[in-house]
Amino acid sequence: MAAHLSYGRVNLNILREAARKELREFLDKCAGSKAIVWDEYLTGPFGLIAQYSLLKEHEVEKMFTLKRGRLPSADVKNIIFFVRPRIELMEIIADNIFNEDKLHSPRDFHILFVPRRSMLCEQRLKELGVLGSFINIDEYILDLIPYDGDLLSMEYESAFRECYLENDQTSLYHTAKGLMTLQALYGSIPQIYGKGECARNVANMMLRMKREFAGSQNQILPVFDTLLLLDRNVDLLTPLATQLTYEGLIDEVYGINNGYVKLPPEKFSQKKQGEASKDLPTEHKKLQLNSAEELYAEIRDKNFNAVGSALSKKAKIISAAFEERHNAKTVGEIKQFVSQLPHMQAARISLANHTSIAELIKDITTSEAFFDKLTVEQEFMTGVDTDKLNMYIEDRIAQKDPLIKILRLMCMQSVCNNGLKQKVLDFYKREILQTYGYEHILTLNNLEKAGLLKPQTSSRNNYPTIRKTLKLWLEDANEQNPNDISYVYSGYAPLSIRLTQVLTRPGWRSIEEVLKMLPGPHFEERQQLPAGLHKKRQQGENRTTLVFFLGGVTHRRRSQQRVVKSRVELNASERTAVYTLKILLSTGTRMGRGQTLR
Amino acid sequence: FYVSAALREKRTEGRVAALQNAVDEFNKGKNEFNTKATEEEMKLLRFQKKLDEEKGAGLQGLCLQDTMEALLNLGLHKQAEQLYRDFRVPDKRFWWLKLRALAEKHDWEELDKF
Repeated sequence: MAAHLSYGRVNLNILREAARKELREFLDKCAGSKAIVWDEYLTGPFGLIAQYSLLKEHEVEKMFTLKRGRLPSADVKNIIFFVRPRIELMEIIADNIFNEDKLHSPRDFHILFVPRRSMLCEQRLKELGVLGSFINIDEYILDLIPYDGDLLSMEYESAFRECYLENDQTSLYHTAKGLMTLQALYGSIPQIYGKGECARNVANMMLRMKREFAGSQNQILPVFDTLLLLDRNVDLLTPLATQLTYEGLIDEVYGINNGYVKLPPEKFSQKKQGEASKDLPTEHKKLQLNSAEELYAEIRDKNFNAVGSALSKKAKIISAAFEERHNAKTVGEIKQFVSQLPHMQAARISLANHTSIAELIKDITTSEAFFDKLTVEQEFMTGVDTDKLNMYIEDRIAQKDPLIKILRLMCMQSVCNNGLKQKVLDFYKREILQTYGYEHILTLNNLEKAGLLKPQTSSRNNYPTIRKTLKLWLEDANEQNPNDISYVYSGYAPLSIRLTQVLTRPGWRSIEEVLKMLPGPHFEERQQLPAGLHKKRQQGENRTTLVFFLGGVTHRRRSQQRVVKSRVELNASERTAVYTLKILLSTGTRMGRGQTLR
Repeated sequence: FYVSAALREKRTEGRVAALQNAVDEFNKGKNEFNTKATEEEMKLLRFQKKLDEEKGAGLQGLCLQDTMEALLNLGLHKQAEQLYRDFRVPDKRFWWLKLRALAEKHDWEELDKF
């Protein structure tokens, strides 16, 4: 069921199993039939851990979403609330319980806090006079969720906002905790590198937690060799740019949530009418995307311009395979063919799906508006006229394009120019307030606070230096057969990826100068391993690096999604980059979007 | 800054007062841009109120751009022009707006005039 998790270099199924075990234990604690009341936000992440069938095995009969008023009636003995520790939610729960009591049915209530229980919430429940109604109050530690074969995520939406805007470090604590859990399962990670304020904090917390556990040595052979912690604000440019890989574009256009994408049904239903007889699945609106799907694994990271040819190649292979049945002569051959049928059917369905998606996206990428926007983005990234008022942005405001698009471009210009000239900045701001409304003064303020938008303070612009040293821009990116990571943005190589690459070889010491220009401190820590656990490494063996982005990898469209993601990836040579990128892309959107919230 | 957050709650009159508080705060914090922007917003609110009372234009709560658009749609060209001058709207944006509004209304005569 979760086969895709074990494909990667590191078997993430271990982590998933551990998470499932804990969930089972909790469910068994409440004997008898149960209903779960979900904090809606949690259903997605939970879906990645346990399907409904697992819950059913443990006598979960009904599931509801948490909302005010009376609970829907259900003939169960236990009601379990799965909630985040948020004060607002406590009030809803209390409301539920009050309404329930009038109904004279004796039920047991339980609360499961995810990812951690909080004194504050319990206090609140007490104030509301319902704390006593609960039999069990427990926490379910869900920090790092295995997302795909080579990707872990905290599914923590507001991390960026909390870290950089509100100076709230809760998410950092969860991160450190999560990484400790990970180390308990996969062995201590000998080397830790980091860049940025938050990274420093997380590393400190981890080291402190380690000291607290002093006596107990971890006897597991380490799976990861290096951990790299990166602050999101070290590389703000990457998430602002439009992603150009297949997966990235799906995300840009439709948004990928918890590994699922929702697509407009029209395109798919038409297809099915044409293909009358086949037993295709009935509803295609929601599609799961991960590397378990062979075809998707192959094309997700390709530049969109290369997806078309990959799809047609695949189509030929599949139809050729179907043709083979005519060549099958002996019974044995036919038998073999039939045994392959389900697999081939599946391949065909997935091909059809992806072709439809690709068509939908193509409509957008070939449009003039998309091209214009891309041109402007690329101009900024190469450093053309970044200090002047940009005509395109001005025009777009006049046409009242979606605010988020404008903000993204503005922020990009600001980042590439190390801040905008006061006059330019004020002009943009005025235009936005007049066109989109005065209330956005708060939005703009937030962007400035987070450093996405800023007035130029010194006349020196660091960006060109950084760009040159780290080779962030390549003129002739090869989109069809990439040899360098820059293909993903058709020329621009994400800064964070370059940092990862340099770390591997030749090491950060060689770029000391540039590191100093980027915000926050950089550091290196070593964790002592117990004797005998040092891996003897053969020459040429790949090392495994875990890269963790604090404040989210570029991500999805919905406001303010800022997921802290981590990525397990190969070290060594170019492959590193390709792999890391996946997250950057899967996660590709909206930094500015979040800030639109006032 | 919290003052301007409060402004979203209130309607009509209270709003102008709250904004005035914000202006004072911005002044103290020497945030020139925000001070000016807030003053302009107050000006706009008063203008909208006046027009709403005179012509029942239903402008309250719209942003400047939408206000001008609404005015043009109602055929109140003079008032729109006034806003355009008072708020120093860039020419380009205003002409675009005007062109579109007129074209939508098929008001070719007015369009002919410029």
